Amino acid sequence: MTSTVSPVTPVIENTHELVISATDLSKRFGSYQAISHVSMQVRRGQAFGLLGPNGAGKTTTVRLLNHVISPDNGEVLLFGEKMTAHRADRLRTRIGVQTDTNVYENLTARENLMFWARLYGLASRERKARVDEVLDIMGLAHRARAQAGSFSKGMRQKLAVGRAILHRPELLFLDEPTTGLDPQASAELISHLEDMVHSFNTTLVMCTHQLAGLADLCKDVGFLVGGRMEASGPVEKLVAERWPGHHVRISLGAESDELLSRARTHLQDESAGISCEIKADRTLHLELPDESFTEGVIASLVAAQFPIRSVVPVTYSIKDLYFDIASTTGEVAA
Amino acid sequence: MNFQRVLTVAHKDLVEVVRNKQAMFPMLVIPVGLAVMIPFGIIVMGSDPTMPTSAFGLSGLIDQLPKGILPPDLSESQKMVYAFTVYFMAPVFLLIPSMSATVIGSSSFVGEKERRTIEGLLYTPVTDRELVLAKIIASLVPAIVITWGSFGAYVFIVDTFASPVIGEHYFPTANWYALMFLVVPLLAFLTVALIVAVSGRATSSQGAQGVSFLVVMPMILLTMGQTTGIMLFSTTVALVFAAVLVVVDVVVFYAVAGIFNRERILTKLL
Ligand SMILES: Nc1ncnc2c1ncn2[C@@H]1O[C@H](COP(=O)(O)OP(=O)(O)OP(=O)(O)O)[C@@H](O)[C@H]1O
Ligand SMILES: [Mg+2]
Repeated sequence: MTSTVSPVTPVIENTHELVISATDLSKRFGSYQAISHVSMQVRRGQAFGLLGPNGAGKTTTVRLLNHVISPDNGEVLLFGEKMTAHRADRLRTRIGVQTDTNVYENLTARENLMFWARLYGLASRERKARVDEVLDIMGLAHRARAQAGSFSKGMRQKLAVGRAILHRPELLFLDEPTTGLDPQASAELISHLEDMVHSFNTTLVMCTHQLAGLADLCKDVGFLVGGRMEASGPVEKLVAERWPGHHVRISLGAESDELLSRARTHLQDESAGISCEIKADRTLHLELPDESFTEGVIASLVAAQFPIRSVVPVTYSIKDLYFDIASTTGEVAA
Repeated sequence: MNFQRVLTVAHKDLVEVVRNKQAMFPMLVIPVGLAVMIPFGIIVMGSDPTMPTSAFGLSGLIDQLPKGILPPDLSESQKMVYAFTVYFMAPVFLLIPSMSATVIGSSSFVGEKERRTIEGLLYTPVTDRELVLAKIIASLVPAIVITWGSFGAYVFIVDTFASPVIGEHYFPTANWYALMFLVVPLLAFLTVALIVAVSGRATSSQGAQGVSFLVVMPMILLTMGQTTGIMLFSTTVALVFAAVLVVVDVVVFYAVAGIFNRERILTKLL
């Protein structure tokens, strides 16, 4: 794969191109094994969510992928190329990274962005317009002339994210970009990122603890726990593998133990392939081979005169996956 | 090497230095003290015939000067003023750029680490060499500007108070031009390059300054001793000395850029 791609106009055709391909990365700090045998692949135009508890190695992974620290073992290809010293500056022009919120405090918001725009080689005609545009996107336009040292935490965060997207990178790394943002700013940022991914085919790798609504942006996720990639792939596939079949929750008119266990026995005797569990909230949790089984189950309970109050389909989210993986690996986030 | 990026980083650093009033103040006060107050005092008092020159311990030094380098037909007090302004102040003007460069150099580079802005910079297309050069320029420019500013003030003092004593406008002499416009920038470059090398390992700017002084000062003192010895006599020798410095600067720069290590900078910081 040659790099005929210019930094500002991403190629749309080749959507299967691997933008990140990391194999078997390991990194040790002193005696602490921070990353163990991590592999990951991200295609062009994909939004990849990197999840995991504090200290799992997310930021370290971003640093390794960007080659600001080098792995003890393993290899990283970006745009099909290995980041070597003499290719680094060319490859980095195509990448935007935000890993912290540290900005130049003595410079104004605009000066901070202008500095970055020059470093990434934006043409001087374009520079000013683009900086204004990013200030606007990040909601900082009215404070553009204030020194960044006077900014609140969230404003610094916005500036740091702004500088990562400034040069319209083909590949964007964001490390907890919504932390510290107010709900509206956070929603606006996510929607801007969706736009970058869908309209400009930007490839996004995002570390986050913000699981709610994440699946709308990141169709693919990786779970890092204790420096290992415990699971990775499309969210739907991971959920379907972990919780196969169709799940419904049934609450009965009365919540007596006796009634619940009678209903469970009834269902299990009645039809094969159904597993039934009584949950702590005194509902019946059913795993069915697929959705079409629901009617039969209801009919059979009604026929046996069980008082049904509600039947609700259960869907599993990234959050459920997160807790499931964290707990099975013994590193539950508090 | 992409010079737009080098200049961008250097310019950013310069803006930061100028806006940092606390750092600027001592950097302006010390050179003014050295370049203005000392000569002012010595000239005014030294030219007073009622004051014995031996009071300053200078007459002994004048006796040690090689024969023939002082203009003939000068009285004792004229000799003292001439020798002091032309020869004895020269080393001071090697000290000023080195001191300023040490202060700015250690804060410009380690400052990025202290304020944790360095990581963001390491993700940009800036190469190690560009970064090292930018940091050197950013420390070099203020150091040279301060030195030249002090030199301007010094020329004014000498011309106002010493020229009347000697009876003609004799300053600056040719060796001073070589000193100011060749040796000072080259020596400041060397100082800063060494500081960047040292501060690649330091995590606080105070630490970097301390270590820098330890590394740089013996070198400066050695050079000062050598330089004054050489520069006293001929401008040609000063030019040769400057040429040698150019070579040393280039070698040191590539060595420093070579040992610059992104990963160590980042992980030692965390
Ligand atoms: N330079 C370093 N020296 C020593 N240990 C380090 C260094 N950098 C990271 N680590 C360790 O590696 C582990 C992973 O750190 P990392 O910052 O990647 O976690 P993270 O997943 O980003 O966590 P968080 O969600 O809190 O941001 C941590 O235990 C951390 O202490
Ligand atoms: Mg992190």
